[in-house]
Amino acid sequence: MTLRASVAATIGLLGAGLPGCGDKASEAPQGADGPRFLFVDVAREAGLVRPTWCGRPEKPHILESGGTGLALFDYDEDGDLDVYLVNGWRLEGASVLERGPNALYRNVGDGTFEDVTDEAGLGDAGWGCGVGVGDFDGDGQRDVFVANFGPDALYRNEGDGTFQPVAVELGELGEPGIDGWSACPVFFDADGDGDEDLFVTGYIEASLEDVLQARPTLDWKDKKVMLGPFGLEGEANRYFENLGGGRFRDATQEAGLTDVGLYYSLGAIALDVDADDDLDLYVANDSNPNYLYRNDGTGRFQDVGLWSGCALDAQGQAQAGMGIASGDFDGDGLVDLFVTHFADDASTLYQNLGDCLFRDVSLPCGVSGPTYAPLSWGTCLADLDLDGWLDLFIANGHIYPQADEVEGTSYAQANQLLAGNGARFEDVSRDAGPGLAVVESSRGLACGDIDGDGDVDLVVANVDAPPTLLRNDSPRRGSWLLVDAPGALRVTVDAGVRRFVRQAARGGSFNSVCDERHHFGLGPDVQVVDVTVRWPGGSETVRRAVPVNRVALVRR
Amino acid sequence: MNLGNIGNIGNIGTTGLCAVAVLLTAGATRQETPKPMVACYDSLADAILAVKQTEADFVLSLLDGHFHAAQAFVTRGDGARASAEMALFANEGDNAIGGVRKRLLEGGHHHNAEGEAKGIYEPGFVVVTRDAKQKALEAAAAMRQAQDEGARKRAWDAFAAVAHELTQRK
Repeated sequence: MTLRASVAATIGLLGAGLPGCGDKASEAPQGADGPRFLFVDVAREAGLVRPTWCGRPEKPHILESGGTGLALFDYDEDGDLDVYLVNGWRLEGASVLERGPNALYRNVGDGTFEDVTDEAGLGDAGWGCGVGVGDFDGDGQRDVFVANFGPDALYRNEGDGTFQPVAVELGELGEPGIDGWSACPVFFDADGDGDEDLFVTGYIEASLEDVLQARPTLDWKDKKVMLGPFGLEGEANRYFENLGGGRFRDATQEAGLTDVGLYYSLGAIALDVDADDDLDLYVANDSNPNYLYRNDGTGRFQDVGLWSGCALDAQGQAQAGMGIASGDFDGDGLVDLFVTHFADDASTLYQNLGDCLFRDVSLPCGVSGPTYAPLSWGTCLADLDLDGWLDLFIANGHIYPQADEVEGTSYAQANQLLAGNGARFEDVSRDAGPGLAVVESSRGLACGDIDGDGDVDLVVANVDAPPTLLRNDSPRRGSWLLVDAPGALRVTVDAGVRRFVRQAARGGSFNSVCDERHHFGLGPDVQVVDVTVRWPGGSETVRRAVPVNRVALVRR
Repeated sequence: MNLGNIGNIGNIGTTGLCAVAVLLTAGATRQETPKPMVACYDSLADAILAVKQTEADFVLSLLDGHFHAAQAFVTRGDGARASAEMALFANEGDNAIGGVRKRLLEGGHHHNAEGEAKGIYEPGFVVVTRDAKQKALEAAAAMRQAQDEGARKRAWDAFAAVAHELTQRK
């Protein structure tokens, strides 16, 4: 056993029986014999074949480590999820070999995708990092914001299957976005005025010249690797208020969202963490404390990260925040947070205690051990086997290709599935089908029911390789409901013996966009449920006796 | 003696020029650094160490401010705001201070380099040790969750003990 594996195993043992997570294992439904999960990579057969590039194979600059994100959304409103993959550039030495265009794949509906990038006009050729999806002009169509290394790009959905770049219309107010290294864009209605504002994380200040001339100079385990993030200047996060009419203005400072530490921000997610009917903002910072910006309901924010307990881990340490997942893992109705981190450091599960207070429960809930060794990025909390409890999926991959020369780690790493039972998580990756045996250096991750069969599938973006499409063929351990309620803050499903709560979340994972509809695994023996949708401002829509195993449409 | 080096040395400022002048007049056979240079460096050391002490004094003032703010909120029965100040104490200031700390580290300045190497201090921290930080954060969380006066007092007492030990040490 390697030292790292030994440490991870020890952490796992220490976690057993510790306070923080109750024992709900006995409440979990009993499944059929055989593997609990089955995921199959069908990317090639489905037509998701374009590789996503990120610099040179040896990765001498930190920009080449970040990989790319992706979005799952229904751009053509035909009822199924389409895939938008962000792409970077391919370098050789100090030369640009290829400016990899982003790719839009239309879901044909028979399990395959059609590459419609060119006809849709979404083949942005900037060095792409992340993507945000929102309706910035209020026309009911999902628009796209691409976070690039270099100028960002905003595309309006014309409603006819095409997109148009709109930056030129913004005139003297300037273009929303960062002309630098931006990572995660998040559309959300911050000020409650009915339109979607935009927050964009900035990672590191760098020029293309810096990237092209970079050499590995940092000593890591007796190898020379890329420098950073320490020793490099942080790029400031920015917030753009939507003024209506397709116009934005930079309102970072007056909104209280100034990146005061110039921290290395990557993931960001907007969600109502304190259940006061407005959207707050949580930002994962690499090697620095995370920000939790609490919204006062008018679009003015205050950073309460340190106070709330979700800026640092249980030891009071800042970690290398990358991606974020949100969900009510313990079924108490409060949204919890999960943040992925660098290798040789556990990812962190923050349990929401209410009143905006969080507690690091990674160790007692069994998360620390399995997540200690890998370097983790995109992530989601979703009920992948429909047993009524959220599971954790984590995309992994090292940033240093030189890791292949070091014992006990590697550049390409297997992704992970941690099965939840409401109390603890168990690493079931090795027994979750061939899809979990795929080994790449993965980054972005998005989840959603791509094939419309009621369970949650996954798409993973890989560095210098085509994506992985993990079709969920797991045995069903219960029924399901997918609530399509655009603009909802929170959806509650009352199944009689249990209530399930999903908070709306914008952004999250790693620079990616998951299906924004609300998916519920309900466990066995549930036939009808009551659905309550809570809207911004506190009004509610209630639907009673809704049959399960279907998509429920709820409009305000 | 290679006089060609003088031009390169000149750009380090007046102190450098003085030092070169002293070197040129010193006896070549004496195997010692000229005493004026030692005195000059000694004076510089006074200044450098004084700055380091000033840094420690500044951080102590910062901590003092958060401590007394927390105490005032506890006295008023405002556990939430007291907790916020306690968390800022634990972290030696807010994220803006954290940004300054990051800049100092990137410039190569570690106030407690030896303590960091031993794992006692987090990088860049001046007064608050790792152990004290964790205890103070736990007290802050307990204060935030406290439902009654007794619980608030227990949280405050735990925090005050940590704060007292730190400030006494410095």
